[in-house]
Amino acid sequence: MGLVASRGGKQKKGNVTSEQEEEEQPLQAVLVADSFNRRFFPISKDQPRALLPLGNVAMIDYTLEFLTSTGVQETFVFCCWMSNKIKDHLLKSKWCRPTSPNVVHIITSDLYRSLGDVLRDVDAKNLVRNDFILVYGDVVSNIDVSQALQEHRHRRKVDKNISVMTMVFKESSPGHKSRCEEDDVIVAMDSKSKRVLHYQKTQGLKKLQFPMNIFQHGSDEFEIRHDLLDCHISICSPQVAELFTDNFDYQTRNDFVRGILVNEEILGNQIHLYVTQDGYGARVSNLQMYDSVSSDMVRRWVYPLTPEANFTDQQGQGCTHSRHNVYRGAEVSLGHGSQMEENVLIGRDTSIGANCHISNSVIGNNCTIGDNVVLDRAHMWNNVHISSNVEIHQSVVCDGAVVKEAVRLNKQCVLAYNVVIGPNLSLPEGTVVSMHHPEEEEEDDDDEFLSDDQEVGHSKDKTRQKAFNPAEVGPEGKGYIWKASMNDTEDEELAQCLWGLVLNPDPESDSESEASEESQDRSRSVSPEIDDVNAFQLEVLGTLQRGLEENIVCDNLVLEINSLKYAYNITLKEVMQILTRVVLEYPFQQQGTQLTTLQYTGSLLPLLKTWSPVFKNYIKRAQDHLDCLSAVEELFLEQDTHQTAMVKVLMKMYQLEILEEEAILKWFSTGATNDKSRQLRKNQGLQKFIQWLKEAEDESSEEGE
Amino acid sequence: MELQAVLMAAGGGSRMMDLTYNTRKPLLPVGNKPLIWYPINLLERVGFEEVIVITTKEVQKMISTDPKMKLDVKMKLDIVCIQEDAHMGTADALRHIQQKIKTDILVVSCDLITDAALHEVVDLFRAHNATLSMLMSKAHEFTETVPGQKGKKKNGDFVGVDGTGKRLLFMANEADLDKGLVIRKSNMRKHPRMHIKTGLVDAHLYCLKKSVVDFLADNRSVSSIRGELVPYIVRKQFSKSMTSPNVNDEADQKLKKKDGNANVEIKILSRDEALLQLTRERSCWNDHRGDMSEAYHGGRLRCYVHIMDEGMCYRVNMLAAYIEANRLAPKLFDEPAVHPSAAISVRCLIGADSIIGASCQISDKASIKRSMIGASTTVREKVKVTNSIIMHGVTIEEGCNIQGSVICSNTVIGRGADIKYCLVGSAQRIEPEGEHTTAYYCLTLPSHTQVPLTSTLSGNSRVAKIQ
Repeated sequence: MGLVASRGGKQKKGNVTSEQEEEEQPLQAVLVADSFNRRFFPISKDQPRALLPLGNVAMIDYTLEFLTSTGVQETFVFCCWMSNKIKDHLLKSKWCRPTSPNVVHIITSDLYRSLGDVLRDVDAKNLVRNDFILVYGDVVSNIDVSQALQEHRHRRKVDKNISVMTMVFKESSPGHKSRCEEDDVIVAMDSKSKRVLHYQKTQGLKKLQFPMNIFQHGSDEFEIRHDLLDCHISICSPQVAELFTDNFDYQTRNDFVRGILVNEEILGNQIHLYVTQDGYGARVSNLQMYDSVSSDMVRRWVYPLTPEANFTDQQGQGCTHSRHNVYRGAEVSLGHGSQMEENVLIGRDTSIGANCHISNSVIGNNCTIGDNVVLDRAHMWNNVHISSNVEIHQSVVCDGAVVKEAVRLNKQCVLAYNVVIGPNLSLPEGTVVSMHHPEEEEEDDDDEFLSDDQEVGHSKDKTRQKAFNPAEVGPEGKGYIWKASMNDTEDEELAQCLWGLVLNPDPESDSESEASEESQDRSRSVSPEIDDVNAFQLEVLGTLQRGLEENIVCDNLVLEINSLKYAYNITLKEVMQILTRVVLEYPFQQQGTQLTTLQYTGSLLPLLKTWSPVFKNYIKRAQDHLDCLSAVEELFLEQDTHQTAMVKVLMKMYQLEILEEEAILKWFSTGATNDKSRQLRKNQGLQKFIQWLKEAEDESSEEGE
Repeated sequence: MELQAVLMAAGGGSRMMDLTYNTRKPLLPVGNKPLIWYPINLLERVGFEEVIVITTKEVQKMISTDPKMKLDVKMKLDIVCIQEDAHMGTADALRHIQQKIKTDILVVSCDLITDAALHEVVDLFRAHNATLSMLMSKAHEFTETVPGQKGKKKNGDFVGVDGTGKRLLFMANEADLDKGLVIRKSNMRKHPRMHIKTGLVDAHLYCLKKSVVDFLADNRSVSSIRGELVPYIVRKQFSKSMTSPNVNDEADQKLKKKDGNANVEIKILSRDEALLQLTRERSCWNDHRGDMSEAYHGGRLRCYVHIMDEGMCYRVNMLAAYIEANRLAPKLFDEPAVHPSAAISVRCLIGADSIIGASCQISDKASIKRSMIGASTTVREKVKVTNSIIMHGVTIEEGCNIQGSVICSNTVIGRGADIKYCLVGSAQRIEPEGEHTTAYYCLTLPSHTQVPLTSTLSGNSRVAKIQ
């Protein structure tokens, strides 16, 4: 069935292309069969991600089927991690048979570290001659790309080689389970030309910011879309490979897209998008996605790629499809009283005991399942052995794993290859068990991307001979828990990494930001004059600074401050307070806040002398003196470490005849309004200064008599 | 009565000072009818029987006394005067008439000339129990050459609507977006597809809930509807206290105390709110699809906008719009282009697209094309008027050639004057044989009036001739 569909699709495409352009070369694709990350560790320690079974078929087969059915005639598969296994798999598959409509070339290198490396190699080897499809080896899709391809070609014909890439998106609203939180994107586009103006991953962002220049391209209608699922399928022009070569810092497609969009003005390259409404396309980027794509597959969303279609054309892979989406392979035996509720796929030669209850699960080939087993959202691969009375919820059980009697796997557990668990154990949520010791992985860090070092790893394992912890994996268990043996932060990271982030519409964080924004709004609307005062203060500071640098006469400074006063509508009293504050803070402003008191007075006193005419201009009436003094007091109350400097400042101001002694005395005796200012007045130096002032006054009055 | 109509007609027309210097904006002639006639007619057409007109004493007096300004309407005008020099904004004006407002309101500006189907706006308001619904239209590129103006500054609004194009999600002026367009992610989750439109003009026609007027009465700091109130309501749609109906009252109280501004919230509970809530709970209707959350995401404040795709919609607040409106307004009503009382010579040429006002005198060999001639205007022999607006009581002497210009009331154009693309103020005398061409913004002022030169003549292409 799958074959028929794919051939039909192919023929159609062939016609379209031949009609369009006679000399059109065969459509090419670049398939990257490596994720360049370790999200599937420890599972991918034994098997590369592209070969992990999804619905009992390796993921790379879905990708190749998608490419073939969309009309690709030549595919370059780039492998790095465990390239031999991928090569073996492909050589055995239908893609390498002589009848395959899609010629698959396998290119392996241990040196690829990123998508960028792969595309640079594509450029170096000069593999692509025309527009090609770029896709990862873990993409499951049934999207008909021919429409997008046509649009892409049309765009390139109309304006010469400006559009370098067309990204394929699927429309799906936020919160859809096939949307991966980590891959969530927001796209700003031009509604008419379908041009991508802004592309951003939204993970961890609360506010989305769009620069204004993207809206200034002549069009008057834009769309900001958050309802798009990135299928990780892109139609690229040959220039893409060149651009990766030119920009050796591009590692991922994300880098590329951001780079092109930012440099659009310079390079003139553009990226467009194609949105499909009814196709299916998703990349299995973590276990969460694995879970959702697998269940979508069983629920037939990826039609015609369905389990019973056997599109890989392998002997014995066929299965029957009955209602409630129950699929059974050949030679499946089901015990008495067992129920397959819905959305169940069972591979060939699997036997299931009595009174089992299975729903929403995929079971691989050659599995044995005991009696009274409950499976819900379980993903069991091949040769798994499950004993009786086991319960498994939303977990992955890899090849060769054995689950003994009365074991319970709670949500999001992973049993990697050949692990043995139980009996009589309940694994807590999110447990990851592997035959590889977690520390071994750390030691292997240097050659993490090198394949074929398995023997080395095993030998190390043997030499180390760490005992399995029966408390963790059960009395007969074999395997190491990946969670417990690593330190906390890393382990959380890992658990998160494997299953991906859970979608949650974090409402509380929203409210927080909203509240703060509102309060901002309010303060803005209620008291705009505060801003004026601040602005005025800054201006005064700037004026004085310039005055010092350019040696401006004080009269001119006064003029300037006066004009500022009118510009910002500041009262005379405020002018004085601000002026005092600015001058007294000037040393902090210039030399930092950690000045000693001595340094502070040392730099301030000459300034006071310089600017005394400015002060005198503003401080004339008795009230002015008091205002000025209260400003001084206020400042020193804030800068309480420098209170000893206050008396020196007052002294200097007195000597410079900025302040009069009556005013100071009056301020000292009456100005105290709260505890702090009373405390301030108890300062010894200040007391002495006041005493001295009083005496001086007495003397002068005596002289007067 | 479902909606009360409020007509804002107190604006001075500060963006076209040259025209409104002698004639208040609501009384500017457009197609030989005062500007204010158009919104009143719009309301009358859809069946309003009463309208509250907020205007100044001067305008009221003119409407009631001057025969030229007489409004030929059947509906009851409830005229409320406000102090001209009180600097009241539109929101202030609404606050002023709060006592009169008993229901939801429809606010119209006096400078709106449109053939929009008003029910579209009101239907949105009704269908979604909206707090605000408004009318917008595609901005027009003014084709006519504007007297004395070269180029115009672009200062567009950014309007964000959802996938249906009706729900108003975002509104900001380009000038305020120096940090770029910022949208909260939670909003994008609720409305994953947002269309950002530029190049729209706000028709200044709003349906508002009564509670909004009450809110205004409590918040004296808001003074303009367009400038402050509408952006506030649009923003408020997504704030927390509006989306969750059962906020913790105690916390709310504290919050209010802290702000010292107890009534900043718009109370949107109307008397049948509970019933509506129940209806929504019981029905399977939803305003969006894609997620499973309740209709409107539980938000109780909603803004909608109707964007006109075609049809005419002008706001006569600038010279260019005024000229354009004069060109198109006559199509809005079917009255004879030439007033019966006008004395037209048989041997003159009047284009079908021109309007001649009451008791005009058009002499022999005059040629009038694509122009509007106001009431009691005298056009002498061999005068050519093309693409121009001549207001009331103007006298054009023999042999004048007027092209693409605006001539204000009671002006006398001397014999043989050649005026191209000029704006001539009211009660002027243009010297005979003078030639005034495009380059000049020929604002002529009476010698006895004192005009602060700096304020009206700021543009560098403007030249004043004071006689």
